[in-house]
Amino acid sequence: MDIKPILSALRRSPTGAILVSLQIALALAIVVNSLFIIVQRMELINRDPGIDVPNIFFVGFQVASDKYQGEVTMREDLQILRSLPGVRSATVVNAVPLSGGGSAASMHTEPNEKGRTGDMNYFQVDEQGLETFGARLVEGRNFDATIVTKPARNSSTSPSGILITRDVARDMFPGESALGKTIYTGTNQPVTILGIIDHMHGSWPSWDKVGNVALFPVITDETYARYMVRAKPGQRDAMMKMAEEALGKVDNGRVILRVRSLEYVAASTFAEDRAMALYLTVVIALLLGISALGIFGLAAFNVSTRTRQIGTRRAVGARRTDILQYFLAENWLITTVGVALGCILALLLGYWLSTTFEHPRLKLYYLVFGVVGLWGVSLAAAFRPARRASMVSPAIATRTV
Amino acid sequence: MFAYDLRLALDSMKRHPGLSALMVLAIALGIAVCTVTFTIYHAMATNPIPGKSSQLYAVTIDTWSAERPYDDDKPDLPPQLLTYRDAMYLYGARAAPRSVVMYKSGALLLPERAGVKPFNAQLRVTSHEFFPMFDVPFQYGQGWDAAADEGPQPVVVLNHETNAKVFGGENSVGRTLKLGKVEYRVVGVLQPWAPSPKFFDLNNGSFDDPEDAYIPYGWGKALEMPVYGNTNCWKPEGGDTYQDFLNSECIWLQFWAELPTVADRDTYQAFVDNYARSQKAAGRLPRKLNNVLYDVDQWLDRNEVVHKDNRVLIGIALLFLGVCLVNVVGLLLAKFLNAAPLTGLRRALGASRRDIVRQHMTEVLLIGLTGGALGILLAVGGLAGIRAIYGSDFTRSSYERLTELDPVVVLATLALSLLAGAIAGLYPSWRIGRTAPAVYLKTQ
Repeated sequence: MDIKPILSALRRSPTGAILVSLQIALALAIVVNSLFIIVQRMELINRDPGIDVPNIFFVGFQVASDKYQGEVTMREDLQILRSLPGVRSATVVNAVPLSGGGSAASMHTEPNEKGRTGDMNYFQVDEQGLETFGARLVEGRNFDATIVTKPARNSSTSPSGILITRDVARDMFPGESALGKTIYTGTNQPVTILGIIDHMHGSWPSWDKVGNVALFPVITDETYARYMVRAKPGQRDAMMKMAEEALGKVDNGRVILRVRSLEYVAASTFAEDRAMALYLTVVIALLLGISALGIFGLAAFNVSTRTRQIGTRRAVGARRTDILQYFLAENWLITTVGVALGCILALLLGYWLSTTFEHPRLKLYYLVFGVVGLWGVSLAAAFRPARRASMVSPAIATRTV
Repeated sequence: MFAYDLRLALDSMKRHPGLSALMVLAIALGIAVCTVTFTIYHAMATNPIPGKSSQLYAVTIDTWSAERPYDDDKPDLPPQLLTYRDAMYLYGARAAPRSVVMYKSGALLLPERAGVKPFNAQLRVTSHEFFPMFDVPFQYGQGWDAAADEGPQPVVVLNHETNAKVFGGENSVGRTLKLGKVEYRVVGVLQPWAPSPKFFDLNNGSFDDPEDAYIPYGWGKALEMPVYGNTNCWKPEGGDTYQDFLNSECIWLQFWAELPTVADRDTYQAFVDNYARSQKAAGRLPRKLNNVLYDVDQWLDRNEVVHKDNRVLIGIALLFLGVCLVNVVGLLLAKFLNAAPLTGLRRALGASRRDIVRQHMTEVLLIGLTGGALGILLAVGGLAGIRAIYGSDFTRSSYERLTELDPVVVLATLALSLLAGAIAGLYPSWRIGRTAPAVYLKTQ
C-alpha cells in the first residue's frame, strides 16, 4: 500500500501526530523501567530461602522472676514444646531469619585475622537447630547436645565447632572442601567446621551475602529470648495456640510475650518491596489504560471530523479496506516513531536510575516487551475508530453540512 | 466577562462530553498518582522539629579501624553512634548548653491492672535533658534532674499510650510501676508524641513509634540493660565483663547537643576535635580526624530517611503526569481546531485574539481544576488502599503516619493541577487564537 498520502497528510498538520508519538515514547520509557523494577523485586521476594518458612514459628519470652534458671528453664520449656503432637523439632535461637535483625561475625583461615575472611550471619541454636530451620547438610554431620555451650553474658568465648553454608565455605576455601578445617575468630580462638549446609538465607534479605550463614552450638543468654519451633506440615497454627497454652501453664520465672509465625515476619520484611511492585504495577496499568483511551479518543474524534473527507474518498473509488488500512497505517507510523523515541528515553531513564539510585542497569530485552506491548495497545486502540471510518457511506460526500 | 467565558467553556465541554470526560480523567489520574507519591515522600521528608532543627546536633566521632572505613559505601563519613567512653566524656564535659546521651532498651512490664497482659516495654535510657531539648510535651508531671541520672533514682516517664494501657489514662504521677526487677515511681506522663521521622534515634526504623517509657541514664550501667538498637565493634572487646564492654571500641550510644548559635556550634566542633586529638595522642582513633556535627536536616539526609524507592517513584509519578498532559494537549488541540469555524465566526463578530485565548484558557483551567479535584478524591482512595494492604500490626502506625493526606500536599496538588491545565492548554489556545477568521467563514 502507498504510504505517501499518509506522510503528506501528516506533514500538513503534524502537531497531533507528534503529541501521540511523544505520549507513546514517554509511556514506553516508564513501562519498561517500572517492569524491570517489578521483576527485580518479585525475584527478591520469591527467592528460595532454604528454610521451611511455612511451618516455623517463634515463641518470644522474657525473664520475670528469680525462679528462672537459664539453661535449665529453657530445656524444660523445649521439652514441653517438643512433646506437643504436631511439633517436629524446637530450639532456642538468638535471632529470627529474614527479619532484618541478627548478628554477624567474621572468621579467618589463619590466626591474627590473616588468610581468607568469611563473613557469616550466625544463629545460636541447640542440637535441633538444623532440623528446625529445615536446612540440609551436604557434608559432615550436625552437632550433638554435648558440644552445645551456654557461655556467660558478654562472654567472647566462641564455640569449638560450627556449621556453615556452602556460600561461606566458598569464600574461605575456594576449590576445596571446608569440612574439618580449622578457622579463627577475631580473638584467635580456633573453630572447627563440622558440617556444610547446602543453602540457607539469614537475617538480612537485602544483604548481598544473605546466603552466608553459620549455626553455632550455643544457647544464648539474654533477658529477652525466643524459641523457634518447626511444626509438622499443616499444623503450624494449631501448634502456635497449643504452645502458648502449654508454656503458659508452667510458672518457671519467664513470661511468654508473643507467638509469631515466620511467614508473618517474612511478609513484613518484604512489605516495602511488595508495595513498590504493586504500586508500579498499578502505574503501568493506569498508564496503558490512559494511553489507549487517549489514542482511541483522538482517533475517534479525527474520524468523526473527517467523515466528509472519507465519504469523498469512498465516492471516488476507495474501498472499505483501503480506508481501514489508511487509518491503521497512519497509526502504525505514529506508533513506530513513538516507540523508537521511547527506546531512547527508556535507556536514558534506566541510566539515570542506575547512576542516581545505584539500581542495576536496565536489561535490554525488557525493551522488547515494552515495544511489543505498546504497539499492541496502540493498534488495538485505533482499530475501532478505523473500522468506523471504513463504514462511512460514500453518499455522505454528496450531502452538505 | 468571566461568567460569559465560563458559560462558553461549559457549552464547549457539553458539546463533546466523551472527550471532555477523557481529559478530566487523564488529569485526574496524573494528579492522583502524583498526590499519593508526594504524600508519602512529604511525610518522610518532613522536618519533625522545625522550630529547633538548626540548633540540635547529632555528634559523631570517627572511632573506627585504621584498615577500613565504617561504611564502605561512604568512606568519608564517621559512624553514627559513639563508644561509651567518648559519649561519657562529651556528656561529662558539659561543653554545650544542653546535651543528651541515650540508647534504646527494653524490660518486662507487669501491669497490675486486670486484663492487661505483661509486655516487653520499649525503654529509652536517657539523660534528663532529653525532654526539654526535644520539646517533649508533658500531660502530667515532668522529667527528672541530673541527680536522678547519677543515682540512679527509680523514676520513670511514661508515654501517653503506656499510661492509658497501664493506668487507664489517669494522672499516674506518684504511682509505681515494675519494669524488669526494679520498681519505678512515675514522675511524668507525656501527651501523645510521635515525631516522624523519629529523628533522635533512626537505628531501628525511621518511622517507628517512640519508646513506651523513659528511665534515667544511670540505670543502663547499673542494670546492664541490653541495647535494642545496633551495637557495632571493629575490635574484640578484650574481656568478658560488662565493664570490658563499656571500655571497648564498640559503638552503640546516641549523643545530641543543643547549640543555639553558629558560634556555639563552631566552639563545640573545636571542643570535640580537641578531645579527638587528645585521644589520638593516647593511641586511640587510628583514622584521620573526622568529627561531624549534623543538624536535624543533615542527620535525616545522612541516614537516608527518605528511601531511594520514594525518590524513584517521584520521578516516575512526574513522568506519568507528563504522559497525561501530552494526552490532554492532543485532545484539546483536536477539539479546539474542530470548533475553529465557530471561533472564526466569533472573531469576525469582533472578538479579539486575546478574548479567544482567554475563552479557551478558561475551558482548559476548568478541565484542569475538575481533574485536580477528582484526582484528590482518587488519591484519598489510593492512600486508604495502601493503608489497608500494608498496615500490618508491625507497621500500622508508621504507615498511618506516612499515608495521611496533609493540607500542604493538597494545596500543592491543586496548584499543580492548575499549572498542568495551563501548560496543557497554552499551545492549543494560542494556536486557535491565531485562527484567521476569513478561512472558516468561507466554508460555512
